[in-house]
Amino acid sequence: MSKTFARARRNEMFLAYAFLLPSLVFLATFTYWPILRSIWFSLHDVMLGDPEIYWLGLENYTRLLDDRLFWKVLGNTAFYTLTTIPISIVVALLLAVAMDSKLRGMAIYRSAFFYPVMIPSVAAGMVWVFLYAPSYGPVNEALTTVGLPRLDWLYDSDWAMPALVIMSVWKYSGYFMLILLAALKLVPSDLYEAARLDGVNAWHRLIHITIPLVSPTLYFVIIIGTLHSYQVFDYVYIMTQGGPADSTNVLTFYIYQTGFQYQDIGYASALANALLFFVLGLIGLVAVTLGRKVHYLGER
Amino acid sequence: MTTTTQTELPNSPKRFNWPRFLRDHWLHVVMIPLAALWLSPMIWILLTSLKTDVEVFDQSAGFLPEKLNFSNYPSTLSVAPFGTYLINSIIVTGSILAGQLVTITLAAYAFARMTFPFKNLLFTLFLLQVMFPIYAIFLTNFVTLQEMGLLNTLSAMIVPFIASGYGTFMLRQSFRQVPSELSDAARLDGCNHLEILWHVFLPLVKPTLIAFAIISVVTHWNDYMWPLLVTNSENVRTLPIGLGLLAKADSGADWPRLMAGTTLVVSPLLLLFMIFQRRFIDSFMHTGVK
Repeated sequence: MSKTFARARRNEMFLAYAFLLPSLVFLATFTYWPILRSIWFSLHDVMLGDPEIYWLGLENYTRLLDDRLFWKVLGNTAFYTLTTIPISIVVALLLAVAMDSKLRGMAIYRSAFFYPVMIPSVAAGMVWVFLYAPSYGPVNEALTTVGLPRLDWLYDSDWAMPALVIMSVWKYSGYFMLILLAALKLVPSDLYEAARLDGVNAWHRLIHITIPLVSPTLYFVIIIGTLHSYQVFDYVYIMTQGGPADSTNVLTFYIYQTGFQYQDIGYASALANALLFFVLGLIGLVAVTLGRKVHYLGER
Repeated sequence: MTTTTQTELPNSPKRFNWPRFLRDHWLHVVMIPLAALWLSPMIWILLTSLKTDVEVFDQSAGFLPEKLNFSNYPSTLSVAPFGTYLINSIIVTGSILAGQLVTITLAAYAFARMTFPFKNLLFTLFLLQVMFPIYAIFLTNFVTLQEMGLLNTLSAMIVPFIASGYGTFMLRQSFRQVPSELSDAARLDGCNHLEILWHVFLPLVKPTLIAFAIISVVTHWNDYMWPLLVTNSENVRTLPIGLGLLAKADSGADWPRLMAGTTLVVSPLLLLFMIFQRRFIDSFMHTGVK
């Protein structure tokens, strides 16, 4: 009896590995092998398309520490992430709360805010180049109408990055709004009712009831937002090519430039490893700081 | 409080009561301009695609096209092989989805319903993939594909995305919610794991599969960076790459034609979104919960 049981367990084990095999083959080839390989490359002088590689040790990493452009690019990336994500999430949360109040025409509003998610980045980037055009773009026309000065936007090193941030808020808020809306629908409405009867105003209801109760989702949205924020590569590539004067050059674009334009795969791999290091570090940081403060309602 | 005001004023005065209107509908007063602002880039794309070159740069021309000029559409189609791009996009997105559905179904079933050594370790490996930005590995993946001789083929755009940690995770959560009585009953009837998976589990998780499919299609249909890197000839390019090239060739000189091209590229997904709005919204909504 126990023998057949053991055999059944062994069979199940083999079958389970067989089920995992297709995924593992692709994960190994296109996710884990590249990471190991990029560590290996970063310790060498590797040129794109050149089979000969030379051992450099940690030279690519010391070069990175001395590379002023690297630090600038890192600063730009941090600026982009730390503005885009909080602004998008605040906008998304306010929109979601408004949608949750059984607003008439909700479906129309929801689609109006969500549709940018469906638009390919290349199309979005292009239309915003047009919208931001200094001489004939509608953004400047609108600024003139309300009496504000016209800006050079993507051609001005002070305004090019904020221009990308504004565009990203337009592009992604709708997605975060939907995720938060799903969480808001789970908050029992008698909580609001009780607070309202106690004379708690809307602002305090938001701060003391809504935000704590949707905090697991908020936390999730911050992580999703961070993962989405690399997509800024597409917009930098399409709209500014990192310019003017590297004011919009972000880490992902700098990796691309180094690897494909300067063909320096070794140094580009060191940069890519730095990206990986920052991403995992950031997610770890979010997990230990915000993750602990998260409130869970009922079971999860 | 709202009920008292309603009973006190059953018949409002003849003149329109602005303060009351604003108090009752203030949310719409805020939301309508905001929604219009969000919609304006899309409206701008459509309006510009119907203008002439002259109108675009003429500041006095106004917001609307003087008269509807549809000639930009045939003109876009004649400068770039959008038909080929469309077919490539369909093949690439469809193949990725088909591949993913097979790999994630099998893996998710193993993680949800089977016991085997190193289960947690393997599951962590799957989850980590979700966190790894493609930008940290695209260089080495490029080199790998070059060595495989796959550069500038449709496969180059497909193979890196066949395994999906995210999809596996999503589906595993759904599989776990299937009551174990159902699979036990099937087991007693003599079904093996594959039969149970096919006849019992898959029909029950259809909503999750649809949700995953929609997200996967939107992501890969719109993808720009990877197809840009691995393609360099017309016959393998996808729609977003084709549009990017058109923009480069025009360098902002021919906005109406470019916006006509943009309309053509964004419309397939936007049309599907309008038709299956509920499904799309639900799919993206529930990526967050659980």
